[in-house]
Amino acid sequence: MTKILNLTVAVLLLAGGVYLYAEDEHEEHAVRSANVAAKPMTPQEKSTVALYQKECGSCHMAYQPQFLPKRSWDKTMNTLENHFGTDASLDPSDHKIIQNYLATHASKNDRMSDMKGAVALRISETPYFVREHREVTKKMVTQPEVKSFANCNACHTQAASGSYREREIRIPNYGRWED
Amino acid sequence: MKYLAIVTMFSMSLMAASPEVLQYMNDLSKTAKAENSAFNGFNAARGKEIFTSTHTGKQGKPMACTSCHTLNLANSGKNSLTGKVIEPLSPRVNPQRLTSTKEVNKWLKRNFMDVYAREGSAQEKGDVLTYIMKN
Repeated sequence: MTKILNLTVAVLLLAGGVYLYAEDEHEEHAVRSANVAAKPMTPQEKSTVALYQKECGSCHMAYQPQFLPKRSWDKTMNTLENHFGTDASLDPSDHKIIQNYLATHASKNDRMSDMKGAVALRISETPYFVREHREVTKKMVTQPEVKSFANCNACHTQAASGSYREREIRIPNYGRWED
Repeated sequence: MKYLAIVTMFSMSLMAASPEVLQYMNDLSKTAKAENSAFNGFNAARGKEIFTSTHTGKQGKPMACTSCHTLNLANSGKNSLTGKVIEPLSPRVNPQRLTSTKEVNKWLKRNFMDVYAREGSAQEKGDVLTYIMKN
């Protein structure tokens, strides 16, 4: 009896796994590379990540560096004194550490091939982002609970940990995302 | 003069800031004195005026410190651009505040730029810190 039960549980688990996998078909690719950072970090890397999250996460989510190529991050880091209308300047040594961190973990794909030479500062300007969010209505984004596309974590509930799976989406006042 | 400095240091130590930040304020006070011989100490009331008055900010729009931090320093605020929650400024409620010179220096520079579109003077910075310490 126990054997049969165990078998049933195993089959169910397997089925569940397959189901989840299928649901995640449209999974964000950038994030997979973010999660590759699964190999243990050295204490120095840990402190760099902590610095990045503290400094870049005090006014908005600390976006995963994988969302933009190096030239975008360089442009951002070179214009911090006028960062989307606010002064976000950093102490020179922190600035250097963060710029290096972004360069090391930046997307290897340029992501701006359709932008006629412009260098995206906002992740939401990149053609990939635009395509992924094409069915999201303006109202969903501008409502007070979300405010703008800059607040990934308003809908992507696991965004802070680098996970943007479709099944984790909860749009305030709308709920799950159904394709 | 030495006596005044000791009294100032002592009265500051009764307020909520780390020794490092108190030292920073002491340096600000020296600069303020050098810039204006009539300067005779920081003033929380002037700090309050700096903190609560509205100015044309970096974006060319009306802006005040209170636009994000709210009028009550014991409450948490909200970044007016992103909506991200800002922990209370009051050291009484939030003991992390006024403990790191590096943090204090960074935010004073940034936020004077955001609200006043210029850096604050030593006196203005000290006045604002004195106001925050008392709230």
